[in-house]
Amino acid sequence: MAEKSGKIEKPEPPAPAGMGRRRFLGTAAVAGAGLAALAGCNEKPAADAGKGAASAGGTHAAANAVHLKPGELDSYYGLWSGGHTGDARIIGIPSGREIHRIPCFNPDPLIGWGITNESKKIMGTKPDGSLKYTVADTHHVHASYKDGNYDGRYAWINDKINSRIARLRLDYFVCDKITELPNVQGFHGIFPDKRDPVDEKINYTTRVFCGGEFSIPLPNAPIDDPSKYRSLFSCVDAESMEVRWQVMIDGNCDLTATSFDGKLAATNQYNTEMGARYEDMMSAERDACLFFNIARIEAAVKAGKFRTIGTSKVPVVDGTAEANKDPGTALVAYVSVPKNPHGVNASPDGKYFICAGKLSPTATVIELSRVLEWFDGKLEKIDDSIVAEVELGLGPLHTAFDGRGNAYTTLFLDSQVVKWNVEAAIKFTRGDKTAKYVVDRIDVHYQPGHINATQSETTAADGKYLAVGCKFSKDRYLPVGPMHPENEQLIDISGDKMILLADHPVRPEPHDFIIFKRDLVKPKQVYDIDHSPLAIKDAKESGVFRQGRKVTVKMTSLAPSFSLREFKVKKGDEVTLILTNLDKIEDLSHGFAIPNYNINFVVNPQETASVTFTADKTGVFWCYCTHFCHALHLEMRSRMIVEA
Amino acid sequence: MTMHRILPRLFLAAMLLMAAGARAAGGAYEAELPAEINSAKDLCAMVPCGSVFPGAAAFSGRKGRPPYVEAYGEADAAGARKLLGYVMLSTDITDTPAYSGKPVITLIGMDIEGRYTGVKVLKHSEPILLLGIPESALDRFNAQYVGKSVRDRIEVGPDRPSEDVTGIDAISGATVTVIAQNQVMQLSGSAVARQTGIIAPTVREPARYRLRGARLGWNELVKLGAVQRLRVMPQQVGLERGAEPFIELWFGDLNHPDVATSLLGARGHANLRASLAEGDHALFVIRTAGRESFKGSGFVRGGLYDRVQVKQGADAFTFRDLDALNLYGLEAEDAPRYDESAIFIIRGAAFSAAYPWKLAFLGNRVDRATGHRSFAVFESGLWLDAGLLAGGRPRIEKPVPPWMRIWRDRAPEIALFVALLAGVAVVYAFRERLTRMSTHKNKWPVNAFKYSAWAVSIVWIGFGVMAQPSITQVLTWFHSLLFKWTWSLFLSDPFIFVFWIFIIVTVFLFGRGLFCGWLCPFGSLSELIYKIGEKAGLKRWQRKLPQRVHDRLKWVKYGIFFGLLAVSMFSMALAEVLAEVEPFKTTFLVGIANRAWPYGLFVAVLLGLSLFIERPYCKYLCPLGAALAMPSTFRWFGLRRKQDCNSCKACAVGCGSLAIDAAGRIDHRECLHCLDCMVLYTDVTACPPLSRERKRRERAGLALTPIGRDGYYIPIQPVTDDAAARKAAAGPDPRMPTDPVQLPYMEKAGLARWIALEVYEHLWPWSAKGWRDQRALQIAGISLAVAATVAWLLAISGNLSSGAIIGWWFGWSVYEVLIRLSGRRYVKDGPWWKRNYRRAGVMDMLSYVAFKNLLIGATLFLALKALDILPG
Repeated sequence: MAEKSGKIEKPEPPAPAGMGRRRFLGTAAVAGAGLAALAGCNEKPAADAGKGAASAGGTHAAANAVHLKPGELDSYYGLWSGGHTGDARIIGIPSGREIHRIPCFNPDPLIGWGITNESKKIMGTKPDGSLKYTVADTHHVHASYKDGNYDGRYAWINDKINSRIARLRLDYFVCDKITELPNVQGFHGIFPDKRDPVDEKINYTTRVFCGGEFSIPLPNAPIDDPSKYRSLFSCVDAESMEVRWQVMIDGNCDLTATSFDGKLAATNQYNTEMGARYEDMMSAERDACLFFNIARIEAAVKAGKFRTIGTSKVPVVDGTAEANKDPGTALVAYVSVPKNPHGVNASPDGKYFICAGKLSPTATVIELSRVLEWFDGKLEKIDDSIVAEVELGLGPLHTAFDGRGNAYTTLFLDSQVVKWNVEAAIKFTRGDKTAKYVVDRIDVHYQPGHINATQSETTAADGKYLAVGCKFSKDRYLPVGPMHPENEQLIDISGDKMILLADHPVRPEPHDFIIFKRDLVKPKQVYDIDHSPLAIKDAKESGVFRQGRKVTVKMTSLAPSFSLREFKVKKGDEVTLILTNLDKIEDLSHGFAIPNYNINFVVNPQETASVTFTADKTGVFWCYCTHFCHALHLEMRSRMIVEA
Repeated sequence: MTMHRILPRLFLAAMLLMAAGARAAGGAYEAELPAEINSAKDLCAMVPCGSVFPGAAAFSGRKGRPPYVEAYGEADAAGARKLLGYVMLSTDITDTPAYSGKPVITLIGMDIEGRYTGVKVLKHSEPILLLGIPESALDRFNAQYVGKSVRDRIEVGPDRPSEDVTGIDAISGATVTVIAQNQVMQLSGSAVARQTGIIAPTVREPARYRLRGARLGWNELVKLGAVQRLRVMPQQVGLERGAEPFIELWFGDLNHPDVATSLLGARGHANLRASLAEGDHALFVIRTAGRESFKGSGFVRGGLYDRVQVKQGADAFTFRDLDALNLYGLEAEDAPRYDESAIFIIRGAAFSAAYPWKLAFLGNRVDRATGHRSFAVFESGLWLDAGLLAGGRPRIEKPVPPWMRIWRDRAPEIALFVALLAGVAVVYAFRERLTRMSTHKNKWPVNAFKYSAWAVSIVWIGFGVMAQPSITQVLTWFHSLLFKWTWSLFLSDPFIFVFWIFIIVTVFLFGRGLFCGWLCPFGSLSELIYKIGEKAGLKRWQRKLPQRVHDRLKWVKYGIFFGLLAVSMFSMALAEVLAEVEPFKTTFLVGIANRAWPYGLFVAVLLGLSLFIERPYCKYLCPLGAALAMPSTFRWFGLRRKQDCNSCKACAVGCGSLAIDAAGRIDHRECLHCLDCMVLYTDVTACPPLSRERKRRERAGLALTPIGRDGYYIPIQPVTDDAAARKAAAGPDPRMPTDPVQLPYMEKAGLARWIALEVYEHLWPWSAKGWRDQRALQIAGISLAVAATVAWLLAISGNLSSGAIIGWWFGWSVYEVLIRLSGRRYVKDGPWWKRNYRRAGVMDMLSYVAFKNLLIGATLFLALKALDILPG
């Protein structure tokens, strides 16, 4: 490694899959540090790269790539799950800077998520108006596709605790819908489809697949016999966010993957034994990776070959192994993989799904075309779709791709990432023992779980950076007591050898993440004032409007003042306060807090939010702006006078 | 103290008093305006908006681009105020310069129908309005707009109903001022009217692009004009000179699909298009050098990018934070690296990518001497290549600059004037034919032309087209050369412009006498009065000053000239006031009747004196004459003399200009080319030596051959060696203004060596003899002290950089005069390509060094300017 030369790794424009070669600043190899200062946020024109020392072979000099100069922007968005903080996070790559958090399932007092009426409506409430759930556990986050690449519309994230799926809008970077999956516990794997299995024209995401991990009685009932439990694999409509259909299956869903042709979705299953205790769950030598034939399932649903469970109206088809033995009619194919597999990942060339062994030191490569042949009756045994099963190391979990034929798999127990070549592994499995499929190994710190590379889950995989979510950080940061941060590590994979670039502490505990080019999204700068039907478009519309005991307070904000300097309500009134931020200046957000009423929320420029509360305490309450806005921010207040 | 010393001082004191009075009464000349007048939100708190909008009770803050304020009436019962119209500050909209090169800062009111409600000049720098034309004339001119509509085509001049032109009356003698003012009025009014919907906004045909589908490299884009550079050097904003730009921006079109795709890539282009609404346009800006930010921080607080603007025609487009997008990279091959970037979106239907537009970088210029900050705009234009546009570039009608309009409107008169000047020059060039035809008794062959020239000059040039050249033009020229050369300034008065070309050419050819003696309106008037006095029987009271007195008084005019020049370095305005020593403005431009009595009295005294003394003003006071006299030292073709002139006083006695000295030499700085001596030169009855020879030949029965060029009969045998001739031969040679100096090394040199020697002689003032003198060192010390003082004074007055150089150059010139006088005391006589040298008088040397160093200085100055080393 030769990080001292001062060369700067330049981000480059998107390149087609397989073309993404590491590029150096054109003349930096010659000019060294002097030019580093000039390089700035200039994106390297691809054509320029050829002129300098573009060879990736000898030296890797990308160490500085993570240290952006002031004002420089990251090249990639990283979309991280938050874990049991219940949120999603935006992390700039390669800098590792956390830019934003998107509260989804759990309340967030900063922006008033779970406090405003609008967010409560999305989150779901009990009949008394209080939040239905206030805990969640987000694991997996994946974005919508078009033409095999992200299209910047949506991303989806799961809540494992309460079996909810949330949709994120990637223009406002907010959660806009949450759906609770019926009869599912431990909703774990999630993946949008990439195109329609039937309609050629629909070359974009219309479905999201959700794997149910914990098997339960269907419908749920206090039944002790685990053999009666089953899991459901659900399909949610990407637009309406309604559950389209579910498949009853054997085993516990871990991760989900979808094929680029839209025909197959897969979930890797552990506990196909259907045990209830962990020793029972690992009794069999092989578990399975389930392949769902989407077209057949939807045909079956259309043909009425489904049942419903309990109060749910969602059609459920039978996908158990027992019911799917005939390839000619099977909705689901059970491909065996070594026991208790972890992770299933689709290679960017669209050919393979790879399941990691977890308790087996292997990775299993399944060729999708053969799975389809099995459904067509052209492959005798479904396990003949396994084209490779190679040893990688101890505790293989998740796999990422560089678009150049290499896979990167985390080895949880070995605390390593192993880089291996998929085609070489296939050759090796076929008997060519000279095929060296392992290309490189690198220690990570420690116990890596998820892994993903830039654009890895798309046909535009560019093999620039690899992020590794290490579950243990141990000694990597200043100690802060017994609770440790997670350690997200960034690795340069543009060369033959992996280079560890940076450690980033993250608040526990993210699981999965995706990393995509910055120009794939078109974020809004301010809200459209028509975003909310309640919007108060003119400060003159402000006022206190009473209908019996229901009082509506309409206010606007325009730095540095609220349109109402004071407003009066009576004790016992049910007050709904609507606030529109009339500021149009980007970044000029206001907060609104009411002391002793446990209320705080933020209105971004042109955004409207409302809160409803009962005025149960008399007195004067200084409502004030909590989000710094102006030199007169402290003076930006309004008095709520609650009269007896 | 003698009279001739006291008079000028008294005169200057009187002038200053009058100027002070004019300043106090006039008000708007160089009036102090609040520093924030161009930026303050509440414009009307600083300027009397009500004075241009009678009936308005309240005004809004500045709004719009370009800015204006709204005028409201009294509040009604409900507290609502009715919008009555708009008030605008001219410099918010246009910086059209007037005669002074500076804008007339005008406050303009306009009602909601687009009718002007009032016009008030807040500040002007027009010299003619300081002294001369009263400011009330400009007020009366402006009052003509009230009631007229911004929709009208208003032009200075008569109504032209057939062309739909509404005429307004000009101010006689201030044409440029009013034409500029008219342009300001219409630009300002229409800019605001367009914004407020009074007149339809400018509609430009949207661009239709010619698509080639090819990806273009950066260099091709540069070649096609689709990307342009805007560079500001530190010295342009008053910072320390440096090689690193203050800011270097490249910017370019993102509207042409080929161009945008080449720059942003297909996806980048598609993303951009997706974020543009119908009618939106986009450009990118990148910073490739410099530390200054083009984004600044204004957009953070106010949401507005206050350092960049796009201008197209009269429309200005500014950008809000919501009009800016991230530029994630330039994909064009060989695109430069940058460290600040943005894509800006131009909202508004007025913009068309087919038409030229400009990116403006708005900065502050800091005067390093005073710390004063002023607003500075740096612009760079972009017009897509015709090959990128279907049907090529649209035709654009450029507004005719005021100067061009004047030339066009007065073309016939200008042509006549050129013909007149050419005619006079040709007549003069063939003067010898006329002088040979004349005798001392009948000078009409010469005088017929000369008197005609006088008549035309007085009546037509002076009173008619008011083209009396003035010392202020010399000063202005001098300043323009040093500080800011604007052709339009000089072209705005075609007669003066043409006249000056004539003057410069003839001064080089013949000396200043042709202009001063034949064509200067005031000079002609002065001598005409003298001639009339002579004919009217005042001849016996007509006197010449004794030569001794004359020889002292004649230096006064040089003193005045140098005084004005020096004052102008510190204050052009004060120099303009002091230039009232010229009676020209009172006599011709404004008229005696229109001015305060002291001016009239001054003219009356000068012209009254002219009855008794020939051209008293020209001889003793005229700074313009002095300015022209100095280069006249080196006129190429002087008047003829013969050896005998050193002992014959016939010409000297008759010389009205008192320009012939005791040795019979003509002082070409003083000579006004009356040609009397040239008449005598060939007059066989009046020229004593000729007459003597004629008589000798007649006596001897010899043939009277024609008079040769040397002023003698073409000899048929050796000239008689009589006593007079012997005496003349022994005396000084009057054919040279001073005694000849022999420079054998010059005379013998071959061409190449001669050129080298010429350069050496001009640039190297020291001589071996000078070095031997200890005096040289002392002289150097004194001179350099003078230089330092001048530089210091200039620095204090806030003209450090240019000023210091001028000061040092001036000091050096003084030093050079002295050192040359002590070592190389000779100058060349006649054409520069000849090798005639003569001993230099102090004035000869002064003229030589001044003129030479002016040329060198100007060349260096222009070179420095061209190399962008000196601030503009």
